[in-house]
Amino acid sequence: MSVTDAPRHGSVRCEHCLQEMPERSSISKKIDGQRHFFCCHGCLGVWEIVHGGSLDTFYNERCDWTPGRPAFTAVNPADFASLIVTDGKTSRLDLSLSGIRCASCVWLVEKVLSRLDGVLSARVNYATRRATFEWRPETISLEKILSTLSNMGYAPLPGNRTASIDAAAAEKREMLLRFGTAGFFSMQLMLITAALYAGFFQGMETHYRTAFQLISWVLSTPVIFYSGFPFLAGAFRSLRSGGANMDVLVSLGALSAYGYSVAMIFTGGELFFDTSAMIVTFILLGRFIEAGSRLKAGSALTALVELQPSEARISEANGETTFVPLDKISKGSLIEVIPGDRVPLDGTVAEGSADVDESMLTGESVPVLKSRGSEVYAGTASLTGRLLIRVTAEPHETVLARIVRTVEEAQARKAPIQGIADRTAAFFVPAIVLLATGTLLWWSLVKGAPVAALMNAVSVLVVACPCALGLATPLAILVGTTAIGRKGILVKGGDLFESVSRTSTVVFDKTGTLTKGRPSITDTLDYQVSDRFMQHCASLEAWSEHPAGKAIVAAWHGERLRVKEFRAIPGMGVAGFIDGRQWIAGTPALLQQEGVKPEPEQLQQVEALRNEGKTVILIACEKRLAGLIALIDTLREEATEMIASLHALGLKNIMLTGDHEVVARTVASHCGITDVRAGLNPLGKADAVRELKQSGATVMMAGDGINDAPALTEADTGLTLGSATGIALESSGIAILNDDLRLITTLFTHARKSFRIIRQNLFWAFGYNMLALPLAISGILHPIVSAILMATSSLVVVGNSLRLRNL
Amino acid sequence: MESTFYLIAIGFLFGLAGWLLFLWAVRSGQLDDIEATKYRILDDDDEKENSPKKKSEKVDK
Repeated sequence: MSVTDAPRHGSVRCEHCLQEMPERSSISKKIDGQRHFFCCHGCLGVWEIVHGGSLDTFYNERCDWTPGRPAFTAVNPADFASLIVTDGKTSRLDLSLSGIRCASCVWLVEKVLSRLDGVLSARVNYATRRATFEWRPETISLEKILSTLSNMGYAPLPGNRTASIDAAAAEKREMLLRFGTAGFFSMQLMLITAALYAGFFQGMETHYRTAFQLISWVLSTPVIFYSGFPFLAGAFRSLRSGGANMDVLVSLGALSAYGYSVAMIFTGGELFFDTSAMIVTFILLGRFIEAGSRLKAGSALTALVELQPSEARISEANGETTFVPLDKISKGSLIEVIPGDRVPLDGTVAEGSADVDESMLTGESVPVLKSRGSEVYAGTASLTGRLLIRVTAEPHETVLARIVRTVEEAQARKAPIQGIADRTAAFFVPAIVLLATGTLLWWSLVKGAPVAALMNAVSVLVVACPCALGLATPLAILVGTTAIGRKGILVKGGDLFESVSRTSTVVFDKTGTLTKGRPSITDTLDYQVSDRFMQHCASLEAWSEHPAGKAIVAAWHGERLRVKEFRAIPGMGVAGFIDGRQWIAGTPALLQQEGVKPEPEQLQQVEALRNEGKTVILIACEKRLAGLIALIDTLREEATEMIASLHALGLKNIMLTGDHEVVARTVASHCGITDVRAGLNPLGKADAVRELKQSGATVMMAGDGINDAPALTEADTGLTLGSATGIALESSGIAILNDDLRLITTLFTHARKSFRIIRQNLFWAFGYNMLALPLAISGILHPIVSAILMATSSLVVVGNSLRLRNL
Repeated sequence: MESTFYLIAIGFLFGLAGWLLFLWAVRSGQLDDIEATKYRILDDDDEKENSPKKKSEKVDK
């Protein structure tokens, strides 16, 4: 959904939150002789603040155009009391701010806050969604600042700034310091070394030479022992546990070159401080890149974690309310959620009803009505009513916690191809050490040349340096994911490039993926079983989350009837009681299951509508067919083009849908798909994917993230369109943010290219070692030449990876 | 040769200054948020002037 579409006839768009609504349910206000429309008084309030402060730039410059009503939440300043840092005159607070959508929000919040009298400074960190501000408590109260924020639709949260988040930030800083230091000293060292190299070939006065050598010793020391400390520590740990990893090889290479050079200062030989420093710097760069991309993905996660309150409201028998920390709450206890609160734990509603904003989990901006018996999830916000919730999950079992864990795991996992480098190190390191020792012994004992022996042994170690190997995968993945991210394709981990490249079959969900997912009603047939047919339909579908249901609701503008015992049968339809009569709306299969028998001529009508590619919903009242509604969902314009180009890439396309065979075939033939599996429920789709996998195909599933979650998880690669929140992140690895199907083609060509480049990088890095080692052992390769070779191979890997910058 | 030596020393001092600046930047949190900063340079500080209006006209075209 995007606001580039003009609102439907009779509808207007809220000027603040872009929500579309019928004109008569909007609030309109005449300002400066012009009529402005708003969805609620909250939005009007925000607009007035923004407009009154002549900050209208906000509306022109914002770059997130997804409609969505802001959550106006009540804030309690007491929650923040423990976070305030004060030094008598000024106070400082660092809090988490929910509702920041793009850089314009950062701008707006900073502007409005810093204009408040008594606020000294206000800064919003876009990456972490945190705000820091300083104020004079005697001029302005914290409550005023917080209510200004919440009145604008940004919810200040006491930010559970967890230890792990702090640790990650500290680690990032430390890594930056180590890398920056290594970079600085290595550069200086290269300068000196260039002079020494020149001296080696042209001759150099001894005292200059000695001076340069001493300087390079001084310069390389911090690189090895400060910047390289993580490697040394890692190598030590690995050796103590009896293994040998990359760290051992790196440390060995760096330390041997360093030690040898120190010895040569006193005995008068060539130095290789530059080699030892370069090893550390390049490998550190690789690690830094890896950590950076992991952290980036983590910041969205941090925002998600902070949605969960740390305490729950419990209403006692005597009517009093107490706050209890989450870990003290057991399953089955009752907690209370008032409007504006976020739900602290998963549970079922025991009492009350409310519109709940679940956008953080589902990406769906329209609030969902929850009443007795409905499931509610931690982190979602109640907008309208009070709910009593019976807790069904411990804090670590909530859907939110599960999402967070999945994403964390995804971030921690390494690309399988990256594992090659690590596995290789396990036998590579001992082999190199053996070769170096062998070279040393052979040259000193057999050839009787101890100096040459040492030199060649170092040569072996230097030439085996895994710089290029360490950079090969992370660098290519970084450049690749960044380039593709700019196009609006989020790739959760580097390993996905591999699985995308191996994909042989792409499975599409029909509704919402190949089609626009916004069906409109074309035909309505009323068999006169009940009066007010449309009103009953719209009331029944009011709680449905299916696009077809929403279309029916949107077509009815009048009052809705009360539905009791509502239940949704996923993928089939809905049922409930209105005025004591049972109503069912859904697929023919559902009605058959419920014992409804349509007349033959009614079945013919259904068949005729289906042949036109329309989805038919049958409505029954008291087990009698009351009517049917036909809807058509238009195909996305670019679908045909995308299918054709995927076909050209050698991929097999399959369509899965819960819709009827005939409808599915019509849609499929329009976009060029021949293999159609129709009439599947969400689990059936997952089964279909599993069957494909068992038959040897590598499957990518493209769906909308919510209904297709099981199939997305089952597939080798899951791809969601249009949203990258909560459930989508949990069940899929790749998210396309701006709904353009052609990006799937881009994804394939790019992933294949990235994977090819990673393999080239690894081939080059290994191949260079294979070639250079024998030369080093036989003493043909002077250590200086091997140092130059080593640097060249790293540069080749870097250059090759940078080719991924352009799509 | 001697001048080269001095030049290298001067180069080192410049580099050292850069390194110290870098240390300060990291420690004081300058590099903590590199995302919003690039947008911030486009903001007009003199907001009481009519600059936002001008901007909006440009965008509208």
